[in-house]
Amino acid sequence: MIRNLDDIQLTKKVSEGDERALYQLYDKYSSAIYGVILRMCRDEDQAKDLLQETFVKIWKNIDGYDPKKGRFYTWAYRIARNTVLNSIRKQKNLIQTEELGVHTNTEAEENPKDFTVLEGSLAQLEPHHQRAITLVYYMGHTHHEAHKVMDVPLGTFKSYIRQALKQLKTIYGRELILVWSFFEMMI
Amino acid sequence: MMEKKRIVEEGLLEQYLIGDLPLDQQLEVEQLLASDASLRKEYKQMEASFEALAFEQSIIPPNEIKDQLKKVIEKKSSNPYQKFAFPIAAGLALLFGLSTFWMFTKWQSTETDLLDLQNQTSSLQSRIQSIEDSYQTVNTNLENINNGQVIPVVLYGNQKAPGSRVVAYVNHDQKIVFVNPETLPPLPADKTYQMWSDVDGEMIDMGLLDSKRNLIELKYIEAAESLNITIEPAGGNDHPTVADLVSYVTL
Repeated sequence: MIRNLDDIQLTKKVSEGDERALYQLYDKYSSAIYGVILRMCRDEDQAKDLLQETFVKIWKNIDGYDPKKGRFYTWAYRIARNTVLNSIRKQKNLIQTEELGVHTNTEAEENPKDFTVLEGSLAQLEPHHQRAITLVYYMGHTHHEAHKVMDVPLGTFKSYIRQALKQLKTIYGRELILVWSFFEMMI
Repeated sequence: MMEKKRIVEEGLLEQYLIGDLPLDQQLEVEQLLASDASLRKEYKQMEASFEALAFEQSIIPPNEIKDQLKKVIEKKSSNPYQKFAFPIAAGLALLFGLSTFWMFTKWQSTETDLLDLQNQTSSLQSRIQSIEDSYQTVNTNLENINNGQVIPVVLYGNQKAPGSRVVAYVNHDQKIVFVNPETLPPLPADKTYQMWSDVDGEMIDMGLLDSKRNLIELKYIEAAESLNITIEPAGGNDHPTVADLVSYVTL
């Protein structure tokens, strides 16, 4: 909650032209967004450029962010995702197919390089849930693309995502209780 | 309007989260989120998990990216037009304000000057009118006393009005009399000078004399043998107070 309040104040300052507020948002969210971008484009040099481009877009379009509609991270994620997808579309050697959208090599997507190794709670999920979340959140697939990559019906894929999010919610809730208990003990 | 059930079952909320819905569906989901508290709660939890997941999967970017970002942002911010836009606009606004104020002041000043000028003109007109009236009076008086038909008569004051010389201008043809009583000494407020004509031993009233005026027209009395001035109570008397006779002259 405090984080969200801070974010609202920071985004307000950014919209007033305060560069330092933008750098604060960068410090806070760049690693989370860079994790997404790097996993989507799988190229470090390109990922650096795209992260910079994402924050320039945030700077320019901050007035389009409405805190009532959701968190800053969600908004920033959408910008990063679109920036990466547009960049991939522009690549000359891309062979675009309707089935796979902007992605051409399913094998590469399923076997990312080291920097795309998934960490933390996501690793606790069942493999098909991990894969569903990875395809959508970290590879930029739409649901219509991703269910084909996984070769399951669209409805099944959607339920994978829903179940995965439910599990994550349970995991984060449990972790929150543990952290809370720890603080209680400290007091 | 989408049904909540469909949104949940078809995973539209998840798609909305990542910005993967067409605009029409996106707007519908937003409308439903704004009106349905339980759906909003579910979406908030989903966002929280989504963000927590992102932080778990975060990768620290090289410092050079932030440096490069700063260069780009500061270059954009240092655009001379953008940087000076506000001061220029403020300067122009100030200049406009000052010139407007100056023009307003000048206008007010001009209006005051014009008013002064109008007042002066009006005063001058009034003075000219007054001078014209005076001139007319003097001219008339001069005509009345300075023509061949007028006989000037001097009434010297006795011991009650020593040194006074009242001049009466008698015009028998036009039957008018003008008197200059200026040299008569001033009287108390309850007294006045009165002039009389003596006709066959009877004193007939000609009128009152105000010593402050220089020429007074009095009644012409036919066959007057002498002119007499007496001191009478203020407002005049029916019969002369002979004891207070000041001056007389035989015609």
